[in-house]
Amino acid sequence: MSIRILIVDDHPVVRHGLKTLIGEHPGWEVVAEAADGLEAVEMADKLSPDVVVLDVSMPRMHGLEACRRIRQNDPNCEILIVTQHDSLQMMEEALLCGARGYVVKSNAARDLLAAVDAVSKHKNFTARKPEQVSDAN
Amino acid sequence: MKLRILIADDHEVVRRGLCTLLQSHEGWEICGEANNGRAAVEMATQLKPDVVILDIGMPNLNGLAATRQLVQQDPKCKVIVLTITDSDQVIREALDAGARGFVLKSDAARDLVAAVEALQRNRMFFTPRVNDMVLAGFLNRGHNGAATSTAPRLPQLTPREREVIQLLAEGKSSKEVASVLNLSTKTAETHRSNIMRKLGFHSIRDLVVYAVKNNIIQVQLPAESVVPRDDSAA
Repeated sequence: MSIRILIVDDHPVVRHGLKTLIGEHPGWEVVAEAADGLEAVEMADKLSPDVVVLDVSMPRMHGLEACRRIRQNDPNCEILIVTQHDSLQMMEEALLCGARGYVVKSNAARDLLAAVDAVSKHKNFTARKPEQVSDAN
Repeated sequence: MKLRILIADDHEVVRRGLCTLLQSHEGWEICGEANNGRAAVEMATQLKPDVVILDIGMPNLNGLAATRQLVQQDPKCKVIVLTITDSDQVIREALDAGARGFVLKSDAARDLVAAVEALQRNRMFFTPRVNDMVLAGFLNRGHNGAATSTAPRLPQLTPREREVIQLLAEGKSSKEVASVLNLSTKTAETHRSNIMRKLGFHSIRDLVVYAVKNNIIQVQLPAESVVPRDDSAA
């Protein structure tokens, strides 16, 4: 299945890493990269990706605010948060903002492909046990 | 003959990014990857890479302590440290540890290739801020005959004591510290007592604060505050 993906992170080296991981999956295409939340919203509007892989702590616009705006503009676009924050509070917040999946950066190499696959099918993906997640989404 | 590079970062996704960045350069190869400083030292001893790229904030043994060990083992070892901050203290410690390159993580995609090229030519590579600091230090010495840093002097800790501080600050018990460092529990406890005495500390809490303040460990800041849910903001 072909999936069009937008990668958003303020560190180019992390974007390189995410792109390399995603590139290992046949049929998936990274359509663009953005370095902050505002750029992410603009690119998502323009390119209508299937999935946005979105960092949280970024300049100009916070990732969760970007998440909320992207989802408002295009409810079909699914958001996968990839963040350094291994925090239940942050994960719940992300889900409330409309994210479909949440991956901690230190586990990204392990979880990223499964997470993109799940959210592209409009299924939730969190690496935590389901009972740890409140019914936020 | 290819330039052999060892990469150490605790985040695999960052290592992937670094590999992609460096492997696209003709004549360079990644000879090994490590996910903490201790593994990096062991791999470097075994693989003898031409250049070692070390993240500073790594578990078990941080990048600065790993640099110190690598340079102590082989003074010709060429180390580039990757850091999220170029604060005066981190710069000073990196230079003191023997790093020959200093690259901000946020600028790695732009600067890292240039840094490796510089080390390949037996030169050093620093960010403009580090260059300014080195120059200022040099000029201070020129005028006064000695460095005139006003930075507070830290108590003299041995490299081993710094390793023990990191492990204790990461929450390990003396027994676990002993196991990681291949020491007896009694020796680990002696190190712990010496550290507490030298630093004038009475609790592990003091030690953790010291480790954070002195970049021996890096902590993740608490999750940022919740973004407003005012729909009009959209």
